[in-house]
Amino acid sequence: MKTILHIDINSYFATMLQQENPHLRGKPVGVTKSEGRNCLIAVSKEAKKYGVKTGCRLKDALPLCPDIICLPAQFDRYLDATHRLKKVFHDISPDVRIYSLDEAFVDISSCLRYLYSDPVDVAQKVQANIKKELGEWVTCNVGISYNHLLCKMASNSAPKGEIMTVTPENKDLLLASVGFEDVCGIGFRLGKKLAQMGVTNPYQIRFYSEQDLLPVFGPFWAKELLRIGYGEDSHNLTLLNRELPHMKSVGRSITGYRLHDSEEEIKAVLLNLMEEVTHKVRRMNLSGRYVSIYLNGHDQHWHAHRTLQYYVRHTKELFDILYNELYLNWKRRFKVIKFGVRLGMLAPISEIPRPIFPSWHKQEKLSEALDAITEKYGLFMVRPASIPKENIIKPEVTGFLGDRQYYGL
Amino acid sequence: MYQTINEPIEIAGVYSKSTFTPKKFRWRHKEFLIKTITWRSDVKDGGIRKRLYSLMSANELYRVEFNRENETWSLLEMWIE
Repeated sequence: MKTILHIDINSYFATMLQQENPHLRGKPVGVTKSEGRNCLIAVSKEAKKYGVKTGCRLKDALPLCPDIICLPAQFDRYLDATHRLKKVFHDISPDVRIYSLDEAFVDISSCLRYLYSDPVDVAQKVQANIKKELGEWVTCNVGISYNHLLCKMASNSAPKGEIMTVTPENKDLLLASVGFEDVCGIGFRLGKKLAQMGVTNPYQIRFYSEQDLLPVFGPFWAKELLRIGYGEDSHNLTLLNRELPHMKSVGRSITGYRLHDSEEEIKAVLLNLMEEVTHKVRRMNLSGRYVSIYLNGHDQHWHAHRTLQYYVRHTKELFDILYNELYLNWKRRFKVIKFGVRLGMLAPISEIPRPIFPSWHKQEKLSEALDAITEKYGLFMVRPASIPKENIIKPEVTGFLGDRQYYGL
Repeated sequence: MYQTINEPIEIAGVYSKSTFTPKKFRWRHKEFLIKTITWRSDVKDGGIRKRLYSLMSANELYRVEFNRENETWSLLEMWIE
């Protein structure tokens, strides 16, 4: 039987800001994506005591906690802290899976025989080493179990800064006592559907057969829910053990500060996002043939995609398809606040026959030159004239760390 | 709130065991003794490597940047209650 640790830093973004600034310690802190944003992407444990939740809007948080201090996130510094955490985990075991910016699974099964006698000692060592590496204010929960689902569930439901062990003997107790918000893979809507059936914890799923679940949840979720009900790894967690040779897709989205109606602004934002996507794809020596775009308005959205017969990796190629073909052929009926582009079905450039067209080779040479400048001076040091300098959208890491391969994590 | 400063500073410190530890800095002709380093991060701005320090001096917090390419120090921000 395996022994896996799930380590989750408590309120990571807010805690790191409190670690940095002792004046913030013990005070309710909310973190926004950047200055002037309204959505709290993280809140400190002190703010949580007032009922402020991650994801809530500042205007909703203020009546609950008028003293909340709002600060912009420091994504570059969080990413560096995660690199440091990875070193801490690798000191414990070679089998480390970084799950998000502040979470990791560490499989210590192979080390238990010779290096460690008790997994709880290992968990305490991890907690101490994290404090040593990131600072004394930083605490983490550690869940210990024999599979990913249960150890994540344990760390989610343990009190802040504590260790919880789940064994085959006590797993049913945990499954019967946690809500679906602590279960990896079950989101708000699925939880709501289950609640309508009277199921409020994973254990209760067992009271239903696959045949009962099938009409409500479909064939995939009927099986998946039963696995969760019996404390077995869900499908997305089993994928953790799969080694991905390269990223499958690269996307980038941004929510603006206001609704955009100007075609010039929309074009500039989309081009900006495409520049970032293609740069990342080229930097990983990849090329893709699935392209997609989506735009959200106040309460409307539009999405278009195309699967190509050939691979693209230059901004011009992507822009021609996404903007000139798909976007311009659509009659925009709403003001846009959220923009997203994606390049998928990626494959290593070494495995793809290179086009014979001279124009492609010209673009490739141009991109190589631009990439060399970018590597030295940063992205958008050289940029299309249609992207105004003051409105540049720079790359940023996300909490769930979808591009962990790009960042070497 | 953090007040943006973005001014060059001079810094003195100790280099020991391959690590530089800032001990004091001079800003606007005034010396500030560093009590603790609360956060240290290595970040990259393109190919330009930077080291960011959050420093406590006389109960005030300062965000300081060391540009590792041109070896210059700047005071980026300070915390104002």
